[in-house]
Amino acid sequence: MRFTDKFRRKVGAMLQFFMLGVFSVHQSIAARRPLVNGTWIRMGMAMDEMMQNDQGLPSCKVLPGLSPGQSRLCQLYIDHMNAVALGAKQAINECKYQFQNRRWNCSILGDINVFGPVFTIASREIAFAHALAAAGVAYSVSRACRDGQLSSCGCSNMERPKDLKQSFVWGGCGDNLEYGYKFTQNFVDVREKERKFKRGTREQGRSLMNIHNNEAGRRAVIKKSKVSCKCHGVSGSCSLITCFQQLANFREIGDYLRDKYDGATEVRVNRRGRLQLKDPRITIPTAYDLVYLEDSPDYCVKDDVRGTLGTKGRPCNRTSPDIDGCNILCCGRGYNTIKTVVKERCECKFKWCCEVQCKTCVRSFDEHICK
Amino acid sequence: MPGTVLENLSGRKLSVLVTVLLLSQLACFLVGLISPSPASSQPILATVCVDKNPSADSMDRWFARTCPHRIELSNVAATEQLKSNNLVFAMEMPQHMNDFSRWQQNLAGVLQFDVVYTEGGKLINTMIELTLDARLAYSDKLADGGQTPWTYYKHSKAKRYMDCHFDEHHNMKDKVGYPYSCTMVPLFELGSLYHDYYLLNLRIIYDERLNLNTHLGKVDDIYLHIIHMNGGFTKVWVSMKTVFFPLIIGVMIWFWNRVHLLARTPALLEYMLIYLGSALVFLNFPVEYFTLFFDMPYMLLLTDIRQGVFYAMLLSFWLVFTGEHMLIQESGDRNSLKKYWKHLSSIVIGCVSLLVFDLCERGIHLVNPFHSIWVTPIGTNLALTFVICAGLSVGVYFIFLCYMIWRVFKNISVKKSILPSMTQARRLHYEGIMYRFTFLMAATLVCAGITVVSFIFNQYTQGEHKWDDSMDIEWTSVIHTGVYGMWNVYICALLMLYAPSHKQWPSEPLSEEVEFSRLSSDTTATPNEISSLTSFVAKANIE
Repeated sequence: MRFTDKFRRKVGAMLQFFMLGVFSVHQSIAARRPLVNGTWIRMGMAMDEMMQNDQGLPSCKVLPGLSPGQSRLCQLYIDHMNAVALGAKQAINECKYQFQNRRWNCSILGDINVFGPVFTIASREIAFAHALAAAGVAYSVSRACRDGQLSSCGCSNMERPKDLKQSFVWGGCGDNLEYGYKFTQNFVDVREKERKFKRGTREQGRSLMNIHNNEAGRRAVIKKSKVSCKCHGVSGSCSLITCFQQLANFREIGDYLRDKYDGATEVRVNRRGRLQLKDPRITIPTAYDLVYLEDSPDYCVKDDVRGTLGTKGRPCNRTSPDIDGCNILCCGRGYNTIKTVVKERCECKFKWCCEVQCKTCVRSFDEHICK
Repeated sequence: MPGTVLENLSGRKLSVLVTVLLLSQLACFLVGLISPSPASSQPILATVCVDKNPSADSMDRWFARTCPHRIELSNVAATEQLKSNNLVFAMEMPQHMNDFSRWQQNLAGVLQFDVVYTEGGKLINTMIELTLDARLAYSDKLADGGQTPWTYYKHSKAKRYMDCHFDEHHNMKDKVGYPYSCTMVPLFELGSLYHDYYLLNLRIIYDERLNLNTHLGKVDDIYLHIIHMNGGFTKVWVSMKTVFFPLIIGVMIWFWNRVHLLARTPALLEYMLIYLGSALVFLNFPVEYFTLFFDMPYMLLLTDIRQGVFYAMLLSFWLVFTGEHMLIQESGDRNSLKKYWKHLSSIVIGCVSLLVFDLCERGIHLVNPFHSIWVTPIGTNLALTFVICAGLSVGVYFIFLCYMIWRVFKNISVKKSILPSMTQARRLHYEGIMYRFTFLMAATLVCAGITVVSFIFNQYTQGEHKWDDSMDIEWTSVIHTGVYGMWNVYICALLMLYAPSHKQWPSEPLSEEVEFSRLSSDTTATPNEISSLTSFVAKANIE
């Protein structure tokens, strides 16, 4: 683990892209284990129930979708699981927000895969979902560290990962963002590494793709964080200066990853078990970019086998030439226009802390609904 | 006629001395390698506690992380019925079941507000005036592992300004939920970290009538970033001081003994050297040991004053040193500081204005750790006046100094041209003196240069937060210990090399006898000669 960490940081993004395959092949723990059903992102769905029960820490057995490796990590870091579930939930919500006007609107089917059978297609959308989920966990764990919820955050007196040695009094605490990154790296990637696939198979390619996109998601959290510094030297001068990381708003991370989704690169897995560009003319994706293996379905019609809901009944924007425009969203089937009258809040004024004073306005407009 | 050690030391001895000094300099850099960075920060997410009965407010009601009613501000449903005076933001320091050690010296707190846009939020007029009711409490560890109840420490209604602006992205459909980018809000500075735990309770009261916090938008999270010294660094730092403190005292005693062995009164430069040594001893005195046993909130102020006194002495010394080697023999008043009043006044003005500034900021921190001079417009103007004043006088000082150094080097080059007309023995001797003198001038330049460059480099490396943990060396602490050691070594070298030598002039060839006796009779008439270089120049003047 340590070696891979170090290595990843040192080699350039290009090299790393090709090396990822080698690492996962050499991960030979747990040769044959039963297939894990579903995804750990289900924890985000279970979050609401867990919060309602509020019986302190959840039990690892109750948590859905964990792979054997993740179960072990769950037992070791049981207090992290609230943060993980919260991160997953946040990722799901963000996914819905970012894709609200697209053909696939991140619809939750509530099955073991959260997003339905679509989740098994190695498409661009699923690349985004993986990156966002990893980002959600990294973000949420870092935030929980700042909240003081976790017993090991790189500076506690209790157990902490081996690579964060310094004790608090001698050298202060380690970086929370780094801790979140490392924890997520272990927790999310472990499920891709605990099963061994034949080189060059679709399954292996899928595993490599997930690892790559998870890394991109984690890095997005770091990339979007801001650094602020304070001078506290002699007379407040900058002879002594200390800098600290500011977590970005998760919406900004979602925006960033959505841009990466728009520029995702199609790859294929070669016989040596590495990812390779499908079209060699494109620039090689960095560790911050998303990759995908298969073309997306068109998501136009309801298909229970694939798990797409179709765009029938979705509102669209008549004037927009973009992805949310009726032309694209309704897949050329046309749309119905309904005159709608809504009462909505307007001319609002915000008052700290918790009050928004609004007037009620009545607005009538034409709503366009896909046929 | 006695010269200084620098001139009379043989080349071999000099090289040994220089090697020893350089080695101890290297040791100071190496010490920095084992020490952690000077300071660390810790982000603390505020726990939002609900005060159900805000009218029953008193200074001994404290809300800690474990308060019974906690909410998340981002959860709109939970906050609906609440007023601003129901919310208490509780931050416990430090985090994760740690406790502060007195080795960590001091504590500064900076607030970060995560403001997001919501319906009715303002997108313009984003300079937000905050009125914060901030209260600090402390608690100590008990022998059985528990902690004492929170005890009131300091309280203030602090006013702060926060600059927020809203970036509209190209792909933004709906502004709600997008963050403002806000500046950090420095909140407090504690000069001593005497207790084990601290608790900050923050209330942000909205009052339309009094115009309090009316511009503040929807806040999702409040973070408190605390900055403290690292215990490891303090230990290394104090050990360095503990080593240098007796060493410099020893060298000073030796130096003063040497001066008193002479039949004459000490020269101005010798006084300056002993003042400079004293300033360094004052700086080196490891007063930090006392902070382990006593509550000393004035430590930050004391550190500033100690540094200030040292740098003021160093700057004055350079000025006098250059002036005394001007190589132009003037009559009478050379042996007094009065001659330098014009030059020294720039240092005095600079130091006094910095001291006043420091007293206005860190002096008032003793009473109110939440005070900041930069908040009110008058305070800002006042602070800026003092800082600019100090900057200007430092500028004037350096112009003076550079001009004087330029004149010294010009004089030396003029005198050099007449060297060939001397006998070989004397020429070699004088050339050696000049070489060593310029060598020390060069050393001064190198030391000053390294200090400036290393601190600029330090800014640069700190500005970009490093994520590459392959770089395990903590450059900041290496720079601090290295530069600190360098000035100690430098002043140690000055004290040793500019002490009067007890060697006599080497006997000169007979042919020079007449000329030489004339020279010595001339210079002994002014009893304040410091080195044979000045006497040599005096001779040259006569010639």
